[in-house]
Amino acid sequence: MSTTSTTAPSRTSRTSRPRRRLARFGSTGFIAALPFLAPALVAYLVFVVAPALESVRLSFFEWSGFQGAPQVFVGLQNYVRIFTHDPVFWTALSNTVIWVILSLVIPVGLGLVMALALNRKIFGRNLFRSVFYIPGVLAPIAIANMWRWMYNPNYGIGVNLAQLFNLPWLADVQWLGDKNLALYSIFAAFVWQIAGTNMVLFLAGLQGVSPDHVEAAKLDGANRWQVFRNVVMPSLRPTTVVVVVLTIINSIKVFDLIVGMTGGGPAQQTQVLALWSFQQSFNNHEYGSGNAIATVLLVITLIIVVPYMVWTAKQEKNS
Amino acid sequence: MTVTAIPTAAAPVANPSPKRKPRPLSRGRDWVRVGLWVALLFSVLIWAVPLIFMVFTSLKSEADIFGTPAFVPPWAPEWGNYVEALDRGHLLTAGGNSLIVAIIKVPVGLFISAAAAFALSRIRFKRQRLLMGVIALGAMVPIQVAIAPLFQVINGLNLLSTNLGLILPYIAFGLPYQTFILYGFFRQIPEEIDESARIDGAGNWRLFLTIILPLAKPALAALFILDFVATWNEYSIALALLQSQDSWTIPLALQGFQSQFTSSYGPLNAFTIMSVFPVLIVYLMFQRYFVEGAFAGAVKG
Repeated sequence: MSTTSTTAPSRTSRTSRPRRRLARFGSTGFIAALPFLAPALVAYLVFVVAPALESVRLSFFEWSGFQGAPQVFVGLQNYVRIFTHDPVFWTALSNTVIWVILSLVIPVGLGLVMALALNRKIFGRNLFRSVFYIPGVLAPIAIANMWRWMYNPNYGIGVNLAQLFNLPWLADVQWLGDKNLALYSIFAAFVWQIAGTNMVLFLAGLQGVSPDHVEAAKLDGANRWQVFRNVVMPSLRPTTVVVVVLTIINSIKVFDLIVGMTGGGPAQQTQVLALWSFQQSFNNHEYGSGNAIATVLLVITLIIVVPYMVWTAKQEKNS
Repeated sequence: MTVTAIPTAAAPVANPSPKRKPRPLSRGRDWVRVGLWVALLFSVLIWAVPLIFMVFTSLKSEADIFGTPAFVPPWAPEWGNYVEALDRGHLLTAGGNSLIVAIIKVPVGLFISAAAAFALSRIRFKRQRLLMGVIALGAMVPIQVAIAPLFQVINGLNLLSTNLGLILPYIAFGLPYQTFILYGFFRQIPEEIDESARIDGAGNWRLFLTIILPLAKPALAALFILDFVATWNEYSIALALLQSQDSWTIPLALQGFQSQFTSSYGPLNAFTIMSVFPVLIVYLMFQRYFVEGAFAGAVKG
């Protein structure tokens, strides 16, 4: 009894104590923090912030990107051009949106199902988890090459499955050559790449589900679905937020897989914003357009990410 | 967080005697389990198809690739594909570059991030939360939005096609995420530890180097391994900044080989396998921590 009553007041005083102490030792303030911060801040400003701002600036200029070539201020012309005269931009934008939405459904759902299935003691569990997870550590460019070979129209998976199951139409599918199909063929490789990563994140989250609560719910007569819905899902919420945010970030910047499998083709049907911006700047020497597209990408990202960060900051303050 | 997650890896061994017959009540459930297991096995086999396809192809002669179905194992392995890939590609030069970049980038980047995270979490100054937010924002912005101007910056420093010219932006682009994660980790270390160290006369550097860093070992180890893998695999920045073939890293060499020998499927798949070898070794060494979610737990913050 007495112990509980003494700890309560001491806890309140503890929160205010460090501040005073630290001040007395003269180790607070921005000057004291600077030596620790400086290398990170310099690197971040020079190689991340400055280039990002520079790409916003360059989006108002026309420039070939060659050293010494003139940069001509053209105002909003680059934006007018990409919005009204560049059909590839719209393809790239809609593909990026499709990619993000599909990513939030398929690999996230699969990862959750894998995690739920493998969160119990089951024969071969670690091997199963490994096979699902390994694609996540491979270089996306290596995955692109593997899948490109799988999609080979003459010797690839389609031809082999066609023989195996006697489905001749399967042999004729142009996985990466059909302009309506190619994006989804690449997306399949993306699912293969990241579902296992989501699985591991969900597995980590499932460790936070209290077995006592599950047991109690079962004793109260809850069936599997009710246990999942009312006990497991609420405690997975923080993990789900992390998975959703990581998925959005990763799918907005998808680049390597597309370069490695189609390069944006056929007929630019698999373009995404990240790749089209890169190609406009580096391959077509349209730095203005390229950076205008990059700026659009930046704005889209900020629209998604800033509310999330404000929200987490508030949550953190409340807790 | 990780500290608690790691020991669980050994837990499955302590299964109660598997021989004991299940009680009649749970027999229905057992069938569910068997069904689930078969479904899992089936999914795992599907998941392994691309890997199997690649390994088989890498061991087949050209005649076998074109003449036999893909799922027939290479009964007479054609190791020559690997020799050819080594011979015609730039695997060793590129591997050397990738290794140098990773060996310098990963520890230096982690140290810089840790120092920043220390300042942001353990030294009080105005607007530090805002600063953390601004830094964390960098982790969420796609690299590609800054890549064309980045090329100009590196070009201005005369560092195009050099290892250093790649290491610097790699460090910078790795900082936001690592700083954010370590910030979260450091904040969980009780402040009393700082207090008692300061009473003993420790300054900020001693506190950071001898107390906070050692306490953060699990998070640092997880970040170290994940960052090694990410650095080894990075493609888009390298594509923009490395112009000459001698400076290529592994992903560029792989893509280069692919475009040069488009239809040499055997050597190409051999090349792909060799290119992922180092990360596979790292993965196998730390497999348990990867799949048990220890890394995920440490890194989630």
